[in-house]
Amino acid sequence: MDSEDDMHDANDAESVDDDFYSGETAMDSDDGDAADYEFIDNDSDDSNDLVSHRSQQNYTILNETDIQLRQEDDITKIASILSISNVAAAILLRHYNWSVSKVNDEWFADEEKVRRVVGLLEEPRPLPNAKELTCGICFEVYPNDSMRSAACGHPFCVTCWQGYISTSINDGPGCLTLRCPDPSCGAAVGKDMVVSLASHDDREKYRRYFLRSFVEDNRKVIVLSFNFLIIDLRFFFISPLIQNGVLLLVVDYAVDFIVGGGTFDVTCRCSYSFCWNCTEEAHRPVDCDTVSKWIMKNSAESENMNWILANSKPCPKCKRPIEKNQGCMHITCTPPCKFEFCWLCLGAWSDHGERTGGFYACNRYEAAKQEGVYDDTEKRREMAKNSLERYTHYYERWATNQSSRQKALADLQQMQSVHLEKLSDKQCQPESQLKFITEAWLQIVECRRVLKWTYAYGYYLPEHEHAKRQFFEYLQGEAESGLERLHQCAEKELQGYLNVEGPSKDFNEFRMKLAGLTSVTRNYFENLVRALENGLSDVDAHGGTSRTGGSRSLGAGSSKGRTSRSKGTASRSSGSRNIDDSGHWSCEYCTFANAKSATVCQMCQQRR
Amino acid sequence: MANVSRIHRELMQFSKDQSILGMSLMADDDDVRHLTATIPGPTSTPYDGGIFHLDITLPDGYPFDPPKMRFTTKVWHPNISSQTGAICLDILKNNWSPALNLKTALISLQALLSSPEPNDPQDAVVAKQYLGDYATFVATARRWTEDFAKASSANFSGKVHKLVEMGFPEALVKKTLEAVGGDENMALERLCPK
Repeated sequence: MDSEDDMHDANDAESVDDDFYSGETAMDSDDGDAADYEFIDNDSDDSNDLVSHRSQQNYTILNETDIQLRQEDDITKIASILSISNVAAAILLRHYNWSVSKVNDEWFADEEKVRRVVGLLEEPRPLPNAKELTCGICFEVYPNDSMRSAACGHPFCVTCWQGYISTSINDGPGCLTLRCPDPSCGAAVGKDMVVSLASHDDREKYRRYFLRSFVEDNRKVIVLSFNFLIIDLRFFFISPLIQNGVLLLVVDYAVDFIVGGGTFDVTCRCSYSFCWNCTEEAHRPVDCDTVSKWIMKNSAESENMNWILANSKPCPKCKRPIEKNQGCMHITCTPPCKFEFCWLCLGAWSDHGERTGGFYACNRYEAAKQEGVYDDTEKRREMAKNSLERYTHYYERWATNQSSRQKALADLQQMQSVHLEKLSDKQCQPESQLKFITEAWLQIVECRRVLKWTYAYGYYLPEHEHAKRQFFEYLQGEAESGLERLHQCAEKELQGYLNVEGPSKDFNEFRMKLAGLTSVTRNYFENLVRALENGLSDVDAHGGTSRTGGSRSLGAGSSKGRTSRSKGTASRSSGSRNIDDSGHWSCEYCTFANAKSATVCQMCQQRR
Repeated sequence: MANVSRIHRELMQFSKDQSILGMSLMADDDDVRHLTATIPGPTSTPYDGGIFHLDITLPDGYPFDPPKMRFTTKVWHPNISSQTGAICLDILKNNWSPALNLKTALISLQALLSSPEPNDPQDAVVAKQYLGDYATFVATARRWTEDFAKASSANFSGKVHKLVEMGFPEALVKKTLEAVGGDENMALERLCPK
């Protein structure tokens, strides 16, 4: 545990260093257009560090060029093994969903059959040896040299070929399996022929289908054979950006994922994170089952919720919602509860009788209503334990964090597209030196995501596990206040530096503070995620007295010093390594980067 | 734009083979992309003796896109809609090739009449009957052929007679009945002034 923590902190320390002082940062991206959209550098090393420091990375983000290279590799491999042309190899691979091993197996098992199925002729036949040939499509007669044919030698004129190819490409990815137009033939039409005859636009479409097929077909086949492949299982996936709605970028990044390497969380280069396993958005620390349960509940409940709240009252004893659709005020709850009560005052029916003004007009209710005791909202608060109220409680907070996250994402984009430039102008700082702000916002987005899911976690945390619940709520509360501090600093305090005339003297201090807060919050949240993923096992170990144990395990959490005073091994180990050339020292307790002159941490008031 | 010169060539070629095939293919006078065709019902099938009319439209992408074909004569067949005459045949859809043509498509349709494919049905009711109660299917198909596909049959003159009695001129009744493939109700609909 300790050593693992050390590792993480060491990584953090490095990334902090990188972020502050290295010149090569995201905004230097030479890819001008892309830089506007991308949150993270094009340089894959950099971005990988950024997204993966919380766990070892078991996936690779591939862009178009990467995919193309892999595709070409596979094609060349097959071409050389089978001694066939690259075009033929591509046709073969596509037919067998780009599985090199499948092509090998099938080919060497029965070459003749494979050739027949795929439409690869052993001996290409030339065009018929006549001066003039009749096109099989338009029936016109043309000189030999304006005719074309696939390997089968069936002659068609160039115009008809173009029409044939264009129609096929515009019909969709089926164009990748194009055959000779002669219905009795079936010889494959290779990429070379298509490319040489298609129009510019069609050629581009074809090229994309070709590339996509490598990604998409590959996935299908491996998912099918999922159980049979054990080691180094890779497959590809198009990042589901379009579903996201928030991110405008529609990129065909694929993800090469190796199963069995720990977490399922994948962060695309566009900064969208999703779960490999269930393809919902990333949901650590909650597992896939809980997520699907929760999402199902949300979709089912949200419609019902309003109706239930408006039309039902909870049984005073068992809290189940009851709709009164007819009859008298005497309500008997359904078994096993069977509690008998008065609909109007929600009091026990046994208390009712002549003295309360009769069974059918509860004057206790009337009287109390006049005195203002039976205020409806008052009643509601009383019923807070009602299961639906409980759900609403968690749902509202889940949803609030969700929207807060969307807002933060939008702010981040705004920051990158507008404010950073302005800030760089005002404060005379190169944009590369402002990466810490992007970092902070990325952290906020991530924290909102985690926080959001902790509410689903809390909802499913059994009611009777009081110690765990208490501990969980404490951790959640701490996480929330920590995040608020970071959010406040990144949002409000930054404004102060944006709206000034000249460079501010204390801008460096601001940098220190925000970067420190980012790092503290990141640590806290990473520990939080780990604690929740472990099912809050600390509570079991420490029995009821979870507070001290918990705060220790979560390490540097709060700047108010409540948790940070505990001497967690994790944060201590990172301290000494964080002193760098520019003369800052990093607080051992909260990792805040302090100016060299300070002897007391400005964040948590601990001595150096 | 559909390749008009190819269509003309097809029509020329077709007229040469017409007598052997026993089929007819005619383009509209004003629009070569709209054609009508007839195919004889294959012998030793319930469709034997019938003449089946088809309505053909050639899309802009023809011959790279398949022709749109539809029976105007009512047919009781698993792969042909008993309501609309729509046809379920692979070469008229995914398996079309520009090297095919109207003649080959019509021959394929004739083949489809001889060998239905009830597992890939257009008309589920007919397909169910074909699989479950073949005798009834054959009887129904034969009756439909008698009723709708035999223009010269006694039945036809019976219908003509009926419609003439309703007060329509005989020549017009015959022409209309032929145009709708012998469907009495459809003919009546057309004859009635709108």
